Formats: sequence, structure tokens, C-alpha cells
Amino acid sequence: MPTWEEKLADRIDPQLADEINVFETEIQLRKQGKLDEKVFAETRLRRGAYGQRYDNGHRNDGIRSQELKYTTDLTKGPDTLWDAPGMQRIKIPFGGLNPDQMETLADLAEEYADSVLHVTTRQDFQFHFVQIDDTPSLMRRLAAVGITTREACGNSVRNVTACPLAGVCRTEVFDVIPYAKASAKFMLGHPDAQGFGRKFKIAFSGCEGEACGLVNMHDLGGIAVKRIEGGKEKRGFALYVGGGLGAVPHDAKLFDPFLPEEELLPTTQAIARVFARLGEKKNRAQARVKFLVAKLGIEEFRRLVLEERKILPHDPRWTSYLTNLNRDTEKPLRPPSHLNGQKRPEGFDAWYTTNVYRQKQEGYVVASITVPLGDLSSWQMRELAQIARRFSGDSVRTTVEQNMLLRWVSEAELPALYQELQRIGLNEPGAGTIVDITACPGTDTCKLGISSSRGLAAELSRRLAAKSFNLDQSVKNLRIKISGCFNSCGQHHISDLGFYGVSRNINNRKVPHFQVVLGGQWQNNAGAYGLALISIPSKRIPDVVDRITERYVRERQHAESFQSFIKRIGKRELARMLEDLTLVPSFEADPSFYSDWGDPRVYTIGDMGTGECAGEVISVSQFEMAAAERLVFEGQMSLDEGDFTRADAHAYDAMLQAARSLVKEEFMDVPNEPDRVVSEFRTRFYDTNLLGDRYAGSKFAQYLFKRHEAPPREHTQDQAHRIVEEAQLFIEAAHAGHDIIAERRNKLP
Amino acid sequence: MELQRIGIKLFADSSAPEPVPVREFIPVFHSWIQKQAIENHLLIDVHNYSHIHNGPGILLVAQEGNFSIDMADGRMGLLYYRKKSGDDIAAVLKTALAACKLLESDPALGGRLRFRTDEMLVVTNDRLLAPNDDQTFAELKPSLDAALKRLLPERKFTFARSSVNPKDRLAIQVQIG
Repeated sequence: MPTWEEKLADRIDPQLADEINVFETEIQLRKQGKLDEKVFAETRLRRGAYGQRYDNGHRNDGIRSQELKYTTDLTKGPDTLWDAPGMQRIKIPFGGLNPDQMETLADLAEEYADSVLHVTTRQDFQFHFVQIDDTPSLMRRLAAVGITTREACGNSVRNVTACPLAGVCRTEVFDVIPYAKASAKFMLGHPDAQGFGRKFKIAFSGCEGEACGLVNMHDLGGIAVKRIEGGKEKRGFALYVGGGLGAVPHDAKLFDPFLPEEELLPTTQAIARVFARLGEKKNRAQARVKFLVAKLGIEEFRRLVLEERKILPHDPRWTSYLTNLNRDTEKPLRPPSHLNGQKRPEGFDAWYTTNVYRQKQEGYVVASITVPLGDLSSWQMRELAQIARRFSGDSVRTTVEQNMLLRWVSEAELPALYQELQRIGLNEPGAGTIVDITACPGTDTCKLGISSSRGLAAELSRRLAAKSFNLDQSVKNLRIKISGCFNSCGQHHISDLGFYGVSRNINNRKVPHFQVVLGGQWQNNAGAYGLALISIPSKRIPDVVDRITERYVRERQHAESFQSFIKRIGKRELARMLEDLTLVPSFEADPSFYSDWGDPRVYTIGDMGTGECAGEVISVSQFEMAAAERLVFEGQMSLDEGDFTRADAHAYDAMLQAARSLVKEEFMDVPNEPDRVVSEFRTRFYDTNLLGDRYAGSKFAQYLFKRHEAPPREHTQDQAHRIVEEAQLFIEAAHAGHDIIAERRNKLP
Repeated sequence: MELQRIGIKLFADSSAPEPVPVREFIPVFHSWIQKQAIENHLLIDVHNYSHIHNGPGILLVAQEGNFSIDMADGRMGLLYYRKKSGDDIAAVLKTALAACKLLESDPALGGRLRFRTDEMLVVTNDRLLAPNDDQTFAELKPSLDAALKRLLPERKFTFARSSVNPKDRLAIQVQIG
């Protein structure tokens, strides 16, 4: 039977291919019980394979909590059953896509998920209801078109986002895409970014005033800045660190008002080192870099980073990309043009008003595609790829508002483009307006969801769209963002009207509610965070929107912004005007309050699980040891297949890997060269007898030394068998060595 | 051909006087989960995709396969996608037909839904094992014909590929006489 691995062998970057092979082996090891469930959980998370609601084998069906009896008890993480459908997140750095990639994504959603592609609030895609066994094939097919899922989840550097207008924006200082691309590539799998206690998000913005990059709410963010030095214009970034949403949002702190472009990557690396070394590991709720910055203060954090920067070994990748900054400049498909009296299809004008952005390049525009709830079908995505080929080329973007953009459209082609979008049902107007609501998955698929963010978003969108023609312009331009819980994946803190899911116990029953969050600011890179005002039953949130927006229209003073209006009215008054909406009728009087939007089941929070967003805190050493285990397993496979040369090589590599993991406990930057690894291992652990007879002084170390100094002249079954066994013993000893190191550390005052 | 991923769509009769709004299937599918109403299936969850133009409509997720009130090409129908191995085409067909019967008799839908008996669509949901070409079509046709004859011995069947684009999945339109 053919496999995708064989079929795509010559189309996948060898490194990506290796990584996916490793993951596939880890799946096999987990199935054989040879890989701990926690280690496997973090392993799959770092490849974007997430858990999903009900994967603990329980679901409330509206009457009772039903046990979902999957075919196996095997787990893919703590309390996460193997056969339960999961979510696959796919990183799309800066949201950049080409039509070939779009077609592949469409195919994969069809074959491995539910034929739906979900655009996330960080420019990724997510597939839902994916079987873990399908993920290696899925990843190979993505890799064949240059997409990786690596570090899409877990305690790692997540998707690097950027303004979707970068390169064509009228207000940008310069195009930040080459920098976003370089950062994503440089930090992907970087050794210094493997020991985090929590995720780390990076964003870039081309200017300070617009919202696009949302730098203020990121762990690390750069805003493009230029200055004149020695009569020459120099590029750099206002670098911010320690921002973040979550339950308690933090404003990012200014790390450097002008970080020269050549310092971007080394500084990022130094920050990663400091975060890995000093960031909280045990208490996940305090483990984002924002807490470290808050704890140390930005001055001390900066000092530590700059010290780290000084001792970083030089890496040519820090600046090599700068010589090619203009190489990837996008080229339009068609010459520039303007709309000059062409016939406009019905509905075009409304769409043009909200969904078209004039590029800084004369005669070209960006067309926004409003994607309801961020969901497209496979068919729509495939058709959209064809449309992009005709009108836009490779210049497609996803946005953090869960939409898509076609850039470099020659303006006179807009009516034809509109008709094509209409054909596939993606011609809705209102992009970036009050009807274009952002929502995280919430209770639909997320384990942490408390209330139905998507259900509420669909309901609000439907109601607002129905009356959009009558809405005052000041209301049309407001934004609504909804999260299913306080974790802010829907970015409710930075919208005009934000909501996040909570539950209330009323009349001895659970009732879905949303906290109303007001005062947030989307502009200025997420310039201000809103605050929760009052919790309101889910079913009355549409009334909240009506009341607040109607009062804004009625009492707005001159060109008063919504934020200013909210501030002027005051929280006390706002709470007063919404107070009666907090009342919940008895279940007997109106049972609809006791179920959530779009879900007829009687509401419960019993389906909530443990979130995996935080990932499992696995040390770098544990990963190294897992890699050693995998290598020795592959050695065993090669031995079984009669490939003794390969078996020997794998066994030797496994010992090196395990030795290296021990050395790294003391010497983080130990190079990969075998001579150096063995030498460092000998000096630090064998000669010093540091670990005592139990390990370094034992015969096990000799297995490594012997194989390193005298590779076999010929590869026989006996030799291969022996070294595979020795490697396994060496790995066991290395595990014991790690335990001893940990015990000693724990005894330190 | 050893295919795991097969989809079968049975079309709703569009001549019904009052078509069922797609969102009405949400409580129906939830009630199926309460009863675990489909034999040999672990029914897990319901998902509302009614906001997607000509999309999967309302989805009922099961471990063995997904059921949806599919709206592709603007035609409502029940689409069953088998995900797991273990069933041949006949068994997949049987499951799809059983789901249709359940829907037709569901009291919440009040007899407003009827499925056509003169056509169906069979989709191979695996571009590796079943590429959209003449060879796969020729290989699949006899087993599909045999499976249909076992289930509906009195009827006659004609088969046609609905697209020859190699990027599409192999989809076979079955006319039932």
C-alpha cells in the first residue's frame, strides 16, 4: 500500500521529514507504553496536536454525564484518551499563504477533519475532530507545501504574527514581514526556546497607531521604527516585552525604543534564555514572561537580557537574512488600474465600503473576505485558491480577526472578484465592523470553555446584520470580541464590547453567563484593556449590546469615541443601566435561560477539562532523553530488519544523546560534535566521579567510550545486538544520573 | 481496494412542501447521542456549521464516522463519512440508510423530511489510495454495484464520475432505477 511518506519524499525538507518521522516513532512508542503520557502530551502539543473537549471520555448529554467508551484505554496525555478526536493547529507565520498551500489545507480538512478550516485569532488554522494516528500523514502533506505544525502549541514560541497589511499598508514605517519570517524561522525548534514554563508569542507591527500587530498584548513585539544615524536611515524596532491577555492582562513594557534590526534575533534569543532560566515552571498560572517581567521589573529584566546577549555565541543567522530583505518582494499579477465607471454588481457598493483597503501602491487594493466565525469549508478554500490565482497570486493572508485577505488586486478587477466571492458565499460585507465578531472556539470544542462564545457570536452577528443598514455609523465601526472563558483567546479585553464566559448558580441550577468587558482599545496595537463590568445571563447579552449602543448613539457628544463615552458615563451608571438584565427567571418559567446559545442541552460546566494550552512542563533534559529512547528504539528496529550498520549507528547516537543531556545540566551550550560531547561527559561526570558508582564510575560509561573510540570494523548481528543492549543500559543509567542531579539540587539551600 | 474513508450522501427530497431549516437538526442529533441511536457507533458531539455557505450544515461526530446535514451544491442531504476501517461499502451504505430512516421517522421533524431513492453520491475520501482517475473508478464500481444490489436487489444502478479534476476526490453519482 502506498504511503504519503514515500509519495512526498522528494518534496519535503529533510529536516521537516526527520521531525515528522520522529513524531511517528513517538506515536508508536506511546502505543507500546514505552513513552510516558506526559512526555508524549508535550511532544504532540509541540507539533500542534491538541486535545479537545470530551477527550477524557465523559460528556454531559443534557440528561446525564455519559461515559464515551472509546475502543482503547490508551491515553495521549493525562486524562486524554487516544481515540478521542482532537484539534490540530497549523502555524501560518504572519498569516501568509499561497494557493497551493490553500488547496492542501482544503484537502486535509476534508480527509482528516470535518471539511472545515478554522482561522484563529493568531493567524493559524485549526482542524477539529482529528485522530492522532492521522497526524503524521497530515503533517507530511503540509510539509510538502512548506508548512509546519511544529510548536503550534505547547510551551514554545508560537506562531509569529504580523500585520496582514504589511508591505502594502499606507501608514507603515517599513514592511515587517522579512523580520517576522526570520524570527519564525530562527526560533523554530531553537534549543534556547525548549525549556520554557509556558508559551511565548511574538508579533510585529509596521506602525504604532493602527491595531494590526497587537504588539501590546504579546510576550515580545516589535513596532517598526526608523532613525537617522550618521546621515543614513537606519531600521529598527521599538521592542516591547511582557505583554499578554489571559485572565489578568498585562501591558507590554518598552524594552528598547530603538533596537537596530541586526540586534532583533540575538536579543530575541537572549530573552528566550532568560525566560527559560528564570521563568516560573511549577505554577503555570504565573509562568508567562509577563509575570517574570513584572517580578523583576523591566530594568532588571533588561539588564539580565543584555548580559545574556553579551555572552551569546555568534550565530550568522542573526543577520544573514538582512542581505535579502528585498528578495521576496511581492509582485502583482496585473497592472494597476482604477474603478472607472464599471458596472457594479448588486451588493458590491456595501462590500466595497467595508471590505476594500487601498494599498500604498497606486491602483492596487486589498480585499477582505469576511469569514463567519472564522470557518470556511474545504470547497470554499479550494475555490478561494483558484480565485487568488486569478486576482491576487501568492499574496493571501489570514488575520487575527479570523478573516482572510487577498492583496495586490488590481482595482478595476474588484467587480469580477466580488462576483466570484459571491459564487462561493464569501461576499459578506462588514469586515472589521460590529457584525464581524471574533470568537474563540469556547464550549464547542475547547476543554476550558465555560460558555458558548461561538453560539453567542453567531446570534449577535445574525441580529446585527439584519439591522445593519439602520445602524448608526458610529456603532457600525465598533468591534465585538467574545471568549468562552477568562483566558482571552477571543481577545475580549481589546474590543469595544467584550464578553467572556462565566457560570452562575441560580435557583440551584447552573446558568451560562458572560462578563461584559468595556473600555478596551483595538487601535494603537491593542492600546488599552477593558475591564469586566457585570455578568449577564447569556440569553440577555443581545439586550446588553442594544442598550449600550443605543445609548451611545443617543448621548454621544460630537465625535466622542466609544472609549471616551464609556469613561464619561462611568461604571456605576453602566452597571445600573444593565442591572435588570441580570435577573434570571425560574427554570419552570423560562428554561431557555438554562441552556446556551446553539446548544439545546441543559447547561452544565461538568464537561470542562484540564486545559492543554499550558502544555506539560518538560525539561530540556527530558526531551533529550526521550530522543535517546527513540534512537535506541530505532536501533532495535534496524536490528530486526537486519540492517546492522544502521542499528549500530542508532545505538551510538542514542548514547551520545543521553550523555549530552547530562552535560547540558551543567553546560547549556555543549556543541553537537561527538568528540566534544564525550570529552565533556568524561570530564564532568566520569573523571570527577560526580555521580558516584551508580553511574559515572560504572561500566555503563565505558560502553560509550568504547564505541566512540573504536567504531566496529564490520557490522555483524552480534555486534549490533550488543551495542543496542549497551545503549539501552546506558540510557537507564543516564536516567538515574538525572535523578541524582535533581536530588542534589533539591537539597541545595 | 481496501478503503477506509468513504462518504455516502443521500439527498433530501426538495419537493417537500416545507423544507426543514437546517438548525432544527441540532436537537435531533443531540437526542441521538442521548440514546446512542446509531448501531455500532459511539456518538460524541454535535457541531453547528450552518453559517458556512453550502457547508457541512449540522455535524454529528462519531468515533467511527461523521454524519452531517450537508448542504454542498445547495442540495440538502445526509452525508455519512466513514473514518475507521472494519466496514465494507455495503456496511457503510447500510449505516447511511439507517441514519436516513431515523431522520425520516424522528418526531421532532414531524415527517417533513424525505430522502430521494433514485440517486446518491459516493465519495472516496482518500486521495492517496483512491485518486480521482479512471482506474480507481473502474476498480471501485463492481464492489459498489455488488453492495447496492445486496441492499436493493430489485433496483438497477448506473454510475458516473462527477468530476475528472485530479485534485478533487473521486465522487460517483449513482442513479437508481
